[in-house]
Amino acid sequence: MQITSSTSGTLNVATLEGRLDTATAAEAEATLLGLLAAPGLVLDMTQVRYVSSAGLRTLLKLAKQAKAKGAAYSLVGLQPAVREVFEISGFDKIIPSYATLAEAVAA
Amino acid sequence: MTNTLHLRLAPEAANVSTLLDALEAYVEAQELPIKAASRLVLLADELAANVVMHAEGATFFAVDVSRGPDTVTFTMTDDGPEYDPLGRGEANTNASLEERELGGLGLHFVEKLASTVDWRREADHNILTITLDAAAE
Repeated sequence: MQITSSTSGTLNVATLEGRLDTATAAEAEATLLGLLAAPGLVLDMTQVRYVSSAGLRTLLKLAKQAKAKGAAYSLVGLQPAVREVFEISGFDKIIPSYATLAEAVAA
Repeated sequence: MTNTLHLRLAPEAANVSTLLDALEAYVEAQELPIKAASRLVLLADELAANVVMHAEGATFFAVDVSRGPDTVTFTMTDDGPEYDPLGRGEANTNASLEERELGGLGLHFVEKLASTVDWRREADHNILTITLDAAAE
């Protein structure tokens, strides 16, 4: 899992690449928590092939932290297999996601 | 080209990655469609992580994958304590952000994404076999 950070408008953007799984979730979580600050953080998931339950725990923890900090938090570019995991876990109802970064920044 | 994969690994966290790397190479060589491939790798992660984290005293876990015309069959064997994972996927998928708890999702995925799930205890081994739709795109 590689994470690179940038900004878009006033938001931090973290671009993830690889698997967000049992082996990589903890390290990714530490990196992403460091990037989470108001006004907000967008995770670009376009290049993420898999998200396992360990990865979902990381994404949920970030959502809770974002709420506590009053920061916006959203995902963009969920691939079909990742979207399937979001739907069957109910995460599509609790974490906002958008097709493109432009939509996430405008939201 | 063989359409089977066999791996026998020590139950260590780093070997979950070893398994997933091997499976990613396998699904690519088999040219499995994206959802079939992703489901296989995802469920392997969940099941291997369960053994590595919870199967106290296990000395190995082994994975066998084979591809038939319509299905992919994945079998995980370990010598940890008896553990029947069937019926344990109890995640509350309608909970709000505040209420949502961390856990129970891995087996929920197994129940939702596998076509069939079978567990048996044989000669002090847990043997879990799942089949997946090989055509899921």
